[in-house]
Amino acid sequence: MSAKQDRRDKIASRLVQIGFLVAVMGLWYFGTAYWGINRILLPNPVNVWHELKDVLSTGEFLPDLKVTLMEIAFAFAISCSTGVTLGYLISRSHFLIKVFEPLLAGFYSVPLILFLPLYVLFFGLGPGSKIALGATISFFPIVLNTIAGFGYVEKIFITAARSMGASDVQMFRHVLLPAAFPVILTGLRMGFTVALLSILGSETLASLAGLGHKIVHLAEAMETPRMFAYIAFAVAIAIFLNTTVSALERRAKRR
Amino acid sequence: MTTGDAAIRVRDVSHQFGEPGDAHFVQALQHTSLDIKRGELLCLIGPSGCGKSTLLNMIGGLLVPTTGTVEVHGKPVRGPLPRDIAFVFQENSLFPWCTIIDNVKLGMVFQGVAKSEQEPRARSALEAVGLKDFMSHYPAQLSGGMRQRAALARALSLETGTLLMDEPFGALDEQTRMILGEDLSVLLSRSEKTIVFVTHSLGEAVFLADRVAVFSARPGRIKEIIDVDEPHPRSPSFVTTEKFSRLRNTLYSLLHDEIRKAVEQSATVAPPS
Amino acid sequence: MTGRELKRKLIRHPGLVRLAVVAALFLLWEVSARWWIDPTFLSPPSKVIAGLGELFETRGIPAALRITFWELTVAFAISVVLGLAIGLAVGLSRFSNLSMMPIILLLYGIPQSTILPLFILYFGIGPASKIAFGVSHGVFPIVVTIVAGVQNIKPILMTAAHSMGASRWQIFRWVIFPHMIPTFFAGMRLGMSGVLLGVLLAELYVSSAGIGYFTQLFTQAFDPTKLLGLISVLAAMAIVLNEIVRRAEVHFGRWRTD
Repeated sequence: MSAKQDRRDKIASRLVQIGFLVAVMGLWYFGTAYWGINRILLPNPVNVWHELKDVLSTGEFLPDLKVTLMEIAFAFAISCSTGVTLGYLISRSHFLIKVFEPLLAGFYSVPLILFLPLYVLFFGLGPGSKIALGATISFFPIVLNTIAGFGYVEKIFITAARSMGASDVQMFRHVLLPAAFPVILTGLRMGFTVALLSILGSETLASLAGLGHKIVHLAEAMETPRMFAYIAFAVAIAIFLNTTVSALERRAKRR
Repeated sequence: MTTGDAAIRVRDVSHQFGEPGDAHFVQALQHTSLDIKRGELLCLIGPSGCGKSTLLNMIGGLLVPTTGTVEVHGKPVRGPLPRDIAFVFQENSLFPWCTIIDNVKLGMVFQGVAKSEQEPRARSALEAVGLKDFMSHYPAQLSGGMRQRAALARALSLETGTLLMDEPFGALDEQTRMILGEDLSVLLSRSEKTIVFVTHSLGEAVFLADRVAVFSARPGRIKEIIDVDEPHPRSPSFVTTEKFSRLRNTLYSLLHDEIRKAVEQSATVAPPS
Repeated sequence: MTGRELKRKLIRHPGLVRLAVVAALFLLWEVSARWWIDPTFLSPPSKVIAGLGELFETRGIPAALRITFWELTVAFAISVVLGLAIGLAVGLSRFSNLSMMPIILLLYGIPQSTILPLFILYFGIGPASKIAFGVSHGVFPIVVTIVAGVQNIKPILMTAAHSMGASRWQIFRWVIFPHMIPTFFAGMRLGMSGVLLGVLLAELYVSSAGIGYFTQLFTQAFDPTKLLGLISVLAAMAIVLNEIVRRAEVHFGRWRTD
């Protein structure tokens, strides 16, 4: 495949993508404005845009955004600290890894969202239940990746350091930690993404505040244009946060 | 101690992996004894699985022999002796997250060298192996041959009396091996180190060694020790001499049947990694 | 058996120790629920298991569980068919891969719980919305896995077939298709996780008679016994479904070396 063909393909594919977006937007606009699609089900994009501007300019989104961000921050802080610590402790012995890694992986394979009603029973409808569920779910990719990072450091590095007289502290600081770092970082990024998703999800299901709750509230009030505006806003925030975290991960891994 | 004294004494050493009756029980090395003279370069050569790497790891304190003892410079070996023994491994053992010079310095950190001495020693070791212009590179940016040079520099910078090399050029292509072998010979002729060098290559063994210990197939024992009476540094033209061919042929005839045996063995039982 | 022999025996059987850990956790749950934690909030496993009979006799529960299971299987089937079709269509053509994948990945990255109310709006509060939401979660991992799988076929295999005179269809039938089978099953495993998440999320969000109704009921009535019972049954259902797909993956992926 020649370079020229490559470039042509790239341009053509970009055009297809743009065309796709234009077609979707076009269908949406014409469908609601001229072809009589039920406004309650699918609002006119122009209306959505007006509502979005309104929400952003009045700052109406602030209290809910703050709640959601706070929940994510706390959940992630908890899962980070417990996940990395426990992961390191388990990784210290191959036997412990063989015992606990399948257990943890098995737990994670269950759709943990099922435990939300239980957490609501414990903590009520406030942020507590959201934070608890977020911390629980995001704990697993972090602990599993930490175990993988520390537990599977290539043996040759440990052998070489040992042969040169490295103490336990030196081994941890100069060999284990730098070797495990990229894998752990990936785990943290995955944990963050999962925390974000589970908090938005649990806000949708059982909450009194937060972005997820706001969307549900507007749905129940049949205020579809505003709901669409909030959906767009929430999706944008989520994409922004995930992209930032991924970029941070890449930067930290860069040598 | 004068040159010629035994720097390394291996007494009645044997090693097995697992217990007899286990599925993966392996008698890696039979009762073996060996004296390695101070300042000599001894090659260990033999078929796969014959225990030569096992013996090297026992000399270096990375493995405890099932029976027997090892003494290095008069000290019994029960664990790594970082001040006396340095290793060069076949696998890439340079830490990928450190630059070349940091890799060399890290070895000295582990050994306990004073901080002020680390930089000058690292620099001179890297210059000696020809990596003066690559000190700030990362291992991933270098070729295999250059990485092994760096590993050698790290081992040299530790200024130990003994150097143990486990097929250091095994992963490299023939041409790189040739060059590195010549450079190694020049480098080592300037030092008084005792070196034990494991290799698969007959030519490499004859070119580098003062003596070559030939191993039998598993369970390994030393079949014979050949003398290579040729002063260091060895010039590249040594390879073309009649003496070289004769020695190489001797090794070949000693090894050929053992290699066949080893290949048949590997089809039935895989030794533990 | 001496202490040392016991230790060595245990080290050989991490599986046994794992069982012991699980047993210990259950014991902890039992003890803390009985004596330390307010019974309004937590029930011990003994009580939960004993209460399972009563749970199943509660009117509407068996039907709700049946419906949920049905929704899961239908959503999974649709996800697989749809995912396979889209995945092959996108993966086999270099151009559609280049143009469509970024769009697919963008959609995959949207937190779908934000559009859950929309699904209910469009598909109603019955099973249709749950199935649709499940498909929406399950189809993406399948597409992505299959596209990656097609891309990862070693070119040397295609070259070898081509050099022996194989036509495009033959290459698909005899090289690409068999190669894809393990990848397909791996994708199905991820798809099943997605479907579970989607269907259960939708169920918990709104149902007039589904499991979401009952979880709400038990939560508001502060009945941890029934709630934990229901959660356990659903968790067991999820584990069984996951396990089926995982075993299928292992069975069909036997020739893999990677």
